[in-house]
Amino acid sequence: MSGALGLVWRLLHALLCLQRALLAWLRGRPAGGPRSWLWRRAASAAASCALLAPAAGTFAFRKAGAARRRPGGAAAARQRWRLDGRALQKLPVHMGLVVTEEEPSYADMASLVVWCMAVGISYVSVYDHNGIFKRNNSRLMDEILKRQQELLGLDCSKYTVEFANQDKADQVLNCQSALKVLSPEDGKADIVKAAQNFCQLVAQQRRTYTDLDVNVLDNLLSSTNGFPDPDLVLKFGPVDSTLGFLPWHIRLTEIISLPSHLNISYEDFFSALRHYAACEQRWGK
Amino acid sequence: MSWIREGELTIIERFCGNIIKAGPMPKHVAFIMDGNRRYAQKCHVERQQGHSQGFDKLAQTLRWCLNLGIREVTVYAFSIENFKRSKEEVDGLMDLARQKFSRLLEEQENLKKHGVCIRVLGDLPLLPLDIQELIAQAVLATRNYNKCFLNVCFAYTSRHEISNAVREMAWGVEQGLLEPSDVSESLLDKCLYTSNSPDPDLLIRTSGEVRLSDFLLWQTSHSCLVFQSVLWPEYSFWNLCEAILRFQMNYSALQHLRMWTDSYSFWNN
Repeated sequence: MSGALGLVWRLLHALLCLQRALLAWLRGRPAGGPRSWLWRRAASAAASCALLAPAAGTFAFRKAGAARRRPGGAAAARQRWRLDGRALQKLPVHMGLVVTEEEPSYADMASLVVWCMAVGISYVSVYDHNGIFKRNNSRLMDEILKRQQELLGLDCSKYTVEFANQDKADQVLNCQSALKVLSPEDGKADIVKAAQNFCQLVAQQRRTYTDLDVNVLDNLLSSTNGFPDPDLVLKFGPVDSTLGFLPWHIRLTEIISLPSHLNISYEDFFSALRHYAACEQRWGK
Repeated sequence: MSWIREGELTIIERFCGNIIKAGPMPKHVAFIMDGNRRYAQKCHVERQQGHSQGFDKLAQTLRWCLNLGIREVTVYAFSIENFKRSKEEVDGLMDLARQKFSRLLEEQENLKKHGVCIRVLGDLPLLPLDIQELIAQAVLATRNYNKCFLNVCFAYTSRHEISNAVREMAWGVEQGLLEPSDVSESLLDKCLYTSNSPDPDLLIRTSGEVRLSDFLLWQTSHSCLVFQSVLWPEYSFWNLCEAILRFQMNYSALQHLRMWTDSYSFWNN
């Protein structure tokens, strides 16, 4: 009997994987073309009647009809993105971009960072659980500067991004956005480091254990010096977990899932921001 | 209303439950039981009624978990932030707590039969004294049961829990029991309110909100997070199955990553 049930379970999971693959394939089809309307209807029907239909906070597929080329070039795009940001009821002050996929793409992450800047998000952090972005920090920075040039045009001095991974917190003048590249060592390990530092002070009798409360510990953490807590995390990839991203800091963070950061479109990115703008925070009340 | 609803699953539920149990099952599930007030608004009843229905749903969900072999459940019953609510609502919730913990003490036989160990986690000194006493009695009465575990987070936030753990370690240093260099991730784990439990495999939040609201932030860093749009008082067995299926689809990726993280911490601690 258990063998038969095991077989049924395997079949169920195979169907779920197939459904997921089908949705990914339908999502990946280019918009436009004579039968695109039919494909979009098929995708929407598949998504809505699917078991494990995208739960709250997940986006199944990109909005159809996205124009690939915008007339007017970089200046028009810059203007449009800035207006897009202003049109939203609320914009996150600090946005976390969390990649759960095994092979992160520098180009796509660079696009996301540049869009964040263009739309008016002041603080951006980038995270992957293997620490790949952090180890290859300079490659990511180069890619971001390149994308900035491509998407925002040559006159991008207004959009200089401060790469905030240095130990010194130098303020860059006329800086619109600040970026941090994070890895798991900025999560639990940073909390442990702060605890060790405090215990060191206690051992030296410069502090007593009753001095420590939530605010004191918050101030002792260093992984996000100068950054407020993230308001929004965009999580990319099939894994339904934050995978160690800033556990202390995400207590009130909205977590919106997107299927993948690979070949991500501006429309998908902006849909997530629109979804965030509609979220209601009650702060416990 | 009892803490664990009596009754077995229907035939269809049992059949589907058996199919799901053919795959990896979560050993510890955490619930953020959100949506009681919106449910009350939707059904045009008092908020208090919404909270009461929410408790009934908890009892029913515990029953389903027992039937599915999920032996540990942690629920977010009351946050320290909830003290900011109106006096009327907070008093109502405290009354509900009084009622339920008193009831718990009355149904010792039932708890003994199911072997339920109740733990209450949080900054309990923030609660009215009589509730603290009821909680203490309930926890003491069930402390030796070990067939399943129910952890109720009451007057709890994760940041308070983590700060409290660091404070305990600092006390240990002050007393000369520890060196600062002894402070590590695993030691902090042992100082949390949840030190007797493994990390939750699965965290479920109802009502469509997609945030953790200061609940088990440390413990769920590598857990499967499932956000469901159903309001808590309307939660069904099928919603639970859906969440477990989602856990199963994430299982191998999360296992692999958790092993990698554990070995990384081992070498770095």
